Amino acid sequence: MPEGSLYRMAAADINAAVVFEKVSKSFGSHVVLNEVSLLIPKGAIMVMLGPSGTGKSVLLRCLVGLIKPDSGRILVFNEDLTRLDDQRSADRHKLFALRRRFGMLFQDGALFDDMSVGDNVAFPMRQHTKMSEPEIRARVAENLERVGLPGTERKMVSELSGGMRKRAAFARAIALRPDIVLCDEPSSGLDPVMSATLDDLILELHRTLGMTFIVISHDTAEARAIATHIGLLYQGKLQVFGEAHTVLQSSHAHVRQFFERNTQGPIKVL
Amino acid sequence: MRFDTFVRHAVRAQFRGLPPADEFVRHALDAGVGSIALLTLLTIFAGMNLSVQAYGTFARFGGQEMLGLFCGVGGIRELYPVMAAVVCGARIGATLAASLANMQISEQVEALEVMGIDPMRRLIAPRLWAVTLMLPLLCAYANVVGICASYFAAVHQMGINEGVFISQVKEIVHLPDLFAGVVKGVIFGWLVAIVACYHGYRAAKRDGAEGVGIATNRAIVHAAVLCIVLNMFLSALMYA
Repeated sequence: MPEGSLYRMAAADINAAVVFEKVSKSFGSHVVLNEVSLLIPKGAIMVMLGPSGTGKSVLLRCLVGLIKPDSGRILVFNEDLTRLDDQRSADRHKLFALRRRFGMLFQDGALFDDMSVGDNVAFPMRQHTKMSEPEIRARVAENLERVGLPGTERKMVSELSGGMRKRAAFARAIALRPDIVLCDEPSSGLDPVMSATLDDLILELHRTLGMTFIVISHDTAEARAIATHIGLLYQGKLQVFGEAHTVLQSSHAHVRQFFERNTQGPIKVL
Repeated sequence: MRFDTFVRHAVRAQFRGLPPADEFVRHALDAGVGSIALLTLLTIFAGMNLSVQAYGTFARFGGQEMLGLFCGVGGIRELYPVMAAVVCGARIGATLAASLANMQISEQVEALEVMGIDPMRRLIAPRLWAVTLMLPLLCAYANVVGICASYFAAVHQMGINEGVFISQVKEIVHLPDLFAGVVKGVIFGWLVAIVACYHGYRAAKRDGAEGVGIATNRAIVHAAVLCIVLNMFLSALMYA
């Protein structure tokens, strides 16, 4: 049975949120993703680890259709994202509708710097829902409270520190209560306490709202703290993927080297 | 993204419903009100200079009384619309390109896309409408200020008879000339906006802060060159 079929069956069986089927992507001669296949169940916290420049962010961008893979399929709630051509109006419409099921925390927050924090968090609700302004304001206050930034609605983005920006961006990412939250290096540039705070936030949202999280990181402590599933990407290939406890106990050379912070092993320093 | 693809997407977004009101108003105010002081200052000096230069030349063969004709033709038909396009275009174009490039580099455009919001509708369409509608108004305003400045220099500095100057301007400048200036403004406005938006939009995260500078520089240079070259063809079409 071809691997793709296997994944499709598995996806139907366990109610997968996301399935990658032999996804490849190259930029010129540089292969960034090489036949990556994985299946993320609904309600999982999947942490994709790997050294810098190994294709983790490209994987995330393929998942939301910002980058089109050269080959392979990406199924999001059984909808094949790779068949949608964003140059075609009808497909573009479908793609945007599918993207509304995602919330994304960008590495540097990507907050709109001409808006206040409150307007940033309210923006997706104003665009996509018929919520009244008082309802939106209440949701904004609730989200900012959740991320530990109560009363910051009127502050401008430029007034926030790096950690506060990330938390405000998190509040925006969960504004529409998306099915899947994507986090691109949530702990990068943050002190350990702030990183732990963000990890707690992810766990709390996962517990209370049941969202699926896909976290791109190179922080092994973060993976240990929050992951239900772990993947390790190196040189475009998915070296290992599975439930967190299995991966953490694995004797796989890449996994051991990465988690033990060892300079000797199959992962080479570029 | 190639320029032709960008233009196709932008035009489709521009004419697919009304642009987001908040973005449109913000950019219209910035393009229009924000340009008034600069345009007034430059047009006053350009208009006065037009009179001074023309007076010196015409006085050699005793034709200084034709100053009104020259200021009407040279100013209203050519100088002021192009000046409004180039000067305001540079200012507006630089602002548009820099803001969009900054949004690209800081992943704000990607954030919009991930939210399921078409950046062409949200960002490009209101900017195109704002500049396309504001630049003709600025051209018309430049015409008024410029001809007043020329009049002031001709009548009060060079001693040209007031009635002669006004009658010559009236003789050479007709309503279609003013209309032509507005038409030029619409075309220049759209051109400035699309070129600036393109350069800003194609900036990438890897370009870093330098990318903002490059986008701004290209937007100003390309828009100015295009406006001046296109003006020649438009004038040939309208007045030849």
